[in-house]
Amino acid sequence: MSVDVTNYIALSAVMFFIGVAGVIVRRNPLIVLMAIELMFNAANLALVAFARVWVNNAGHIFVFLVVTVAAAEAAIGLAIVVAVFRRAENVDVDEVAGLHG
Amino acid sequence: MTPHLIVPFGSADWAAVAPPTVVGVAALVVILADLMLPRRARRISAIAIGIVGLIVAGIIALQGWHHPYVAFGGAFIEGGFAIVFEGIVIVAAIFSLCMSYGFARDDQIGGAIALMLWSATGAMLMAGAASLMMIFLGLELLSLALYCLCGLAARASAREAALKYLILSSTASGFLLYGMALLFGATGSVALAALANPPISAALFDIGCGMFLVGLCFKLSLAPFHVWTPDVFEGAPLPVTAFMSVVTKAGALAAVARFAYAALPQRDHAAILIPLWIVAAISMIVGNVGALAQTDIKRLLAYSGIAQLGYIVAAMAGTSALGLRYAIFYLGAYMFMNLGAFAVVTLLSRENDEGSRLASFAGLGYRQPVLAGLMTFFLLALAGLPPTAGFIGKILILATDVNTGYAWLAVLLIVGTAISVYAYFKIVRAMYARTIGTPVLPRFVPASALPWVGVALCAIATLGLGLYPFAPSDILPLVR
Repeated sequence: MSVDVTNYIALSAVMFFIGVAGVIVRRNPLIVLMAIELMFNAANLALVAFARVWVNNAGHIFVFLVVTVAAAEAAIGLAIVVAVFRRAENVDVDEVAGLHG
Repeated sequence: MTPHLIVPFGSADWAAVAPPTVVGVAALVVILADLMLPRRARRISAIAIGIVGLIVAGIIALQGWHHPYVAFGGAFIEGGFAIVFEGIVIVAAIFSLCMSYGFARDDQIGGAIALMLWSATGAMLMAGAASLMMIFLGLELLSLALYCLCGLAARASAREAALKYLILSSTASGFLLYGMALLFGATGSVALAALANPPISAALFDIGCGMFLVGLCFKLSLAPFHVWTPDVFEGAPLPVTAFMSVVTKAGALAAVARFAYAALPQRDHAAILIPLWIVAAISMIVGNVGALAQTDIKRLLAYSGIAQLGYIVAAMAGTSALGLRYAIFYLGAYMFMNLGAFAVVTLLSRENDEGSRLASFAGLGYRQPVLAGLMTFFLLALAGLPPTAGFIGKILILATDVNTGYAWLAVLLIVGTAISVYAYFKIVRAMYARTIGTPVLPRFVPASALPWVGVALCAIATLGLGLYPFAPSDILPLVR
């Protein structure tokens, strides 16, 4: 039994928008980083699904690269969050407002 | 049954990526030297190794000028187009290293210089990238190194800048990546050239193109995706700001140009790219209007960069061959005049004060006439007045926009320039106005003469390109 590719793409689109909503709505930088990971993984799901459709392994290889990059991004992201909030008691991106945008 | 899995990569493939590889290896050598040398020799050795590595990479890149080569099954194309962008990245990185002498603590400098070199490696990979995968990898290498660099100052505002840049830039990378996934789905290939084939679904293709361009416009800091730029530029250490203001933009511009010129030749791409030209138009106005209110030179140069990138993208409107040459010419001119201004600010910075506030320019024309004169010259160039490279560059862009039927862009360019003159002259006025109550700041000796070298070279190049405009020809056949 096979599942139509549009289902995978629909799921990945939903994941992507949950990620975007998370970045916009959530105030905790850790959750924001998770939301960004969700955006990356939504793209991964779409890449794997399309790789299956086209029988092209480039999509699979792309996913491996993205997973590696996302891991590096998470490591650097957590390090920066620790550096910013080392002295603060709670973590909230709204309190990081020394630079006027 | 899967012949495309057998990848016959030869020495020629590795030779094609030699320039970025050399820069990446130079970063490793910097870290090694940092471990072995005594503390007081670390600063100068890190900068020297970095500059030597970049020059070697540049020489290697130039060898390939007449021998374009499609490496790694079409993922990376070394040729005139890539070499020009690699050259711009290399020169900008060298100038940024010249400004880095007073940057970071003694125990951080090796890592900081290495990160800068890796960031340049990422931009150089983007310069030659001809597949979506390669663009993504280059962009992430460029960005990840920069997130760390932004936070490398004792001030809290630097860490804040790093966090803002990390979150906003990663979100943009998410859009870019999802757009790439959709483009892969629409065409069945990650090669940029395959985007020219008819897609299986026009909707998939159009949404993919849109998200891909949104991600890149963010990295180019074009309005309305520019809001991060002033804050990050203000918070980041000065040499990092100077580096970002050219290298990130050169890398992203290479990707945008290759996308516009090589990927979409047959389809009626005029319609798909129109939002890009509109974004360029908005940037010209928003950047220059935003610059009016700034009292910090780094923020002012951030807004100025938004507008200047608007001019550069506008040069490519209509995707004519001349437009690409003029865009590259203006990118080179922007690099020299912008880095020249940053180098002047570096010379004004002291411990605990980056000298970027407008107040530190008050009366500079009387305290340090040479420096003030050079700053005035760079600001004239950024505003686009003769006899500088900025003037010629703008004339060329105006000409190409009118010729390709984008006269409205030319009109907006003139309007933006008129606004920008006022913003830039605010600094000039501060330097030469005799105001009562201006604090008399002492003349001081900078920690290193290196930024002076940068200022002098930038001034010569800005004047030279203005008097003898030169843009490499026959790049277009090498884009694909």
